[in-house]
Amino acid sequence: MKVAATLSVNGFAYPVELDPGTNLLAAVRDVIGLTGSKEGCDDSECGACMMLLDGQPVNACSYLALQAEGSEITTVEGLADGDTLAPLQVAFLELGGVQCGFCTPGMLVSATALLADNPSPTEDDVRIGLSGNLCRCTGYDGIVKAVLSVAGSS
Amino acid sequence: MATVEEPRTFIRPDGKEKVTGTGRYTADLVLAGELVAKFRYADHTHARITRIDVTKARALPGVLAVVTHEDVPDVLYGGMVKDRRLFARDTVRFEGDVVAAVAATTAAIAEQAVALIEVDYEPLPVVTDFEAALADDSTLVHPAWEEYEGNESLGRHHNTVGYTAIVKGDADAALASADVVVRGRYVTDPVQGVPIEPRAVIAQWQGDKVTVWTSTQVPYAARGGVAHVLQIPESHVRIIVPLLGGGFGAKCDFHFEGHVAALARAARRPVKLVFSRREEFFAVGHRREGMVIEFESGARSDGTLLARKARLVLDKGAYCGEGGFFSEMAAMHALGPYELENVNIQSSLVYSNNQPSSSIRAPTAPQVCWALEQHMDELAAALGMDPIDLRRKTLIETGSVTATGQVLEQIAMKETLEKAVELIGYGQELPEDEAIGVAVGWWPCFAANSGAYVKLNPDGTGTIITGAQENGTGSVMAMPTYVAAELGMQPEDFSMLYQDTDAAPYDMGSCGSQTTFNSGRAVIAAAVDLRDQLLDAAAEQLEASRDDLELVSGSILVKGSPDKSVTIAELAGEGTFHGKGAGEVPFAPEALAEGCVGQSGLESFHAPQLIAHAVRVRVDRDTGVVRVLQVAAAHDCGVILNRMGADGQVYGGVVMGIGQALSERTQLDAEGRHLNAHLTDYKLVTASDAPQIDIAWIETDTLNAGPKGSKGVGEPPCVPTAGAVANAIARVLGARVHQLPMTPERVWKAGQ
Repeated sequence: MKVAATLSVNGFAYPVELDPGTNLLAAVRDVIGLTGSKEGCDDSECGACMMLLDGQPVNACSYLALQAEGSEITTVEGLADGDTLAPLQVAFLELGGVQCGFCTPGMLVSATALLADNPSPTEDDVRIGLSGNLCRCTGYDGIVKAVLSVAGSS
Repeated sequence: MATVEEPRTFIRPDGKEKVTGTGRYTADLVLAGELVAKFRYADHTHARITRIDVTKARALPGVLAVVTHEDVPDVLYGGMVKDRRLFARDTVRFEGDVVAAVAATTAAIAEQAVALIEVDYEPLPVVTDFEAALADDSTLVHPAWEEYEGNESLGRHHNTVGYTAIVKGDADAALASADVVVRGRYVTDPVQGVPIEPRAVIAQWQGDKVTVWTSTQVPYAARGGVAHVLQIPESHVRIIVPLLGGGFGAKCDFHFEGHVAALARAARRPVKLVFSRREEFFAVGHRREGMVIEFESGARSDGTLLARKARLVLDKGAYCGEGGFFSEMAAMHALGPYELENVNIQSSLVYSNNQPSSSIRAPTAPQVCWALEQHMDELAAALGMDPIDLRRKTLIETGSVTATGQVLEQIAMKETLEKAVELIGYGQELPEDEAIGVAVGWWPCFAANSGAYVKLNPDGTGTIITGAQENGTGSVMAMPTYVAAELGMQPEDFSMLYQDTDAAPYDMGSCGSQTTFNSGRAVIAAAVDLRDQLLDAAAEQLEASRDDLELVSGSILVKGSPDKSVTIAELAGEGTFHGKGAGEVPFAPEALAEGCVGQSGLESFHAPQLIAHAVRVRVDRDTGVVRVLQVAAAHDCGVILNRMGADGQVYGGVVMGIGQALSERTQLDAEGRHLNAHLTDYKLVTASDAPQIDIAWIETDTLNAGPKGSKGVGEPPCVPTAGAVANAIARVLGARVHQLPMTPERVWKAGQ
């Protein structure tokens, strides 16, 4: 039995019909059609599916979609301001924070939440704050530098 | 020789789509009418199949196809030995063997159908102890091994799928005359590639032709594989790779494109396969193999290295795939970058009922290097020498002759050692729970054919068409900079058509750190061809000699006559300009290789990349927990063409090496089944575990190098890291850990 609901993602309201067991990642990717958020493990281990719920980061693979009704959901597609990239997105590109790019959406979402919570983090704060997001390409160096550079400029 | 100092910024052309989430990876694609694929895997790790009945699965509403060996041509496949069927017919040989595949309208129905397939087996003795599998009376994983078509150089015999011996001088006599002899036995656990993107494959038939979108590192090998297993021409198979979410070798070779193409043909619908993380661990024929490594070395009391003997046994797992050369590769790493007069290296690659091993970033090297570099430190200790001094005395240098008879020209092995030692502050006073360890390694370049086109568009922009595969490193993304430099244009002027086998000539793909070496060479050759065409056209139009023309800022100018010029856009609008090129494949240096058995082409290391890593660690003796605090990585990878890209490879490779050193291991049960096929218990390094990494590049003028003097970069950074960590741990503990990874439990035990 599908349940009707409205999910608000990146400022748009989407009427959806979902099986109650559908997780938020599947709802956003397969039903709403925003594929920026990735599934890397379905186990809350890799962080590639990270979304913001009213500003709080959650592993969308392990969060029931229907529980997100009434919350503002932000995905990687919602980080830029129209065609203007967010400072974090620019910094990831300029400082070597992107290689294969599969962890990048979740990493950017986690970093956005981190900076909202702590605008002036130390390097250790950044490393601990991003430790729920796995990256196999960059060794995290470019990612950490990117987050620190944005923190320093704000 | 020069040291590269200044980082340069490089914005990758695929960057914007990656940071905005608009880029498409294979699993993001949706085709109208697509079905979901699920596999029925082997229920035993070694068993004879006596019955397969798919009647109930086929009858389930929503199931459009169930495919077994009966539905595809009965052919064997495999890169170096044809020893595997697409769908198991008589025998299953490991946990991930595919017995049947289902295509259904939903994932739930496909899973239900998979469970309804009835398979009966007669279990066979399971071969998991790969060292014991060497014995002539061991159970054979492939009783029909002699009938298989395979590379003749491999020296196959019973369960041994590859055998290599490197013999020079008289190692036994030299050991008998040595002042000091040390011996060691080292054992390594299997390790996984773990790209963050689990693999995905979509196949769609149009008439007799199939298009396959797949997360592969090697599109042309995938094309050849599909054509072979379905017995259709390669021209009927088109492989397209959307953005690839990492590979690290695990997505090399032909894997599941054939299964999905067979399903889509049977279902007459597009079919999509997306792996779970668990499948990405156990079902792929790709992992870093477990090894048993024994070393014996002898030296004079002054540190002169007299002889080395080694015995290596590598767990190939159930099938050979492309990895038949691993016995020779491991043997070359058992030599390591040392000058040796007397050697006897015996290396065996052995079938078992474990998951197949194959290329994972620098295959075989990190394990053998970890063992050898510990062994060298043990030799130094026995000699009462500083381990750096012993390496200063014994490492190769320009002019050295290797044990296989290769004369080395223009290498900076010792320079990388000195740089790493300087960067880490070797010799500094440290707290008693901290120490510095050092390890060195080497890795070859791989010369191969590649081809490319560069065409001009009417507005004067251009498109690069290459068979190269971008796996994330940025080596393909850097190609517009090379082409722009040849044509006096800007990198932003070029788009790229790549990762589509119908578009570009053959390319090896993203493997062997050779994208710039080979694909880059071809792209530059195509740009040079295009430049020649433009100069001819401009010479005619400007009524000038070609020799007087130059390409600057999108125009062709007559030198000294600033008013006589034509823009590339003007020329492009009037004609069709398209360059093509392959470039000249550089020769691998000769090796005399007398006394070398089982030669698969690695007797010489073409344009070798040299590496020295120094690490500082802290060891908690009470818990065995090791933290890597600092790494200094010095590399001779020839001329560095893209500093940011090259640095990115070292940062990522070193962190991967730390994972191998301390936490990453696949644990198997007594029958070879994965016990930790998930990221909770297979522990990757996180941002909070990763240390400060300082990087130095020593640029050399390398013989037979790649474009502009470059060598490979991608694989070497993970070669010596684990060895350096091991040597640092041993300095703190005063004892050695002989098992990899060096988990807290193993470190704690070694310290007792």
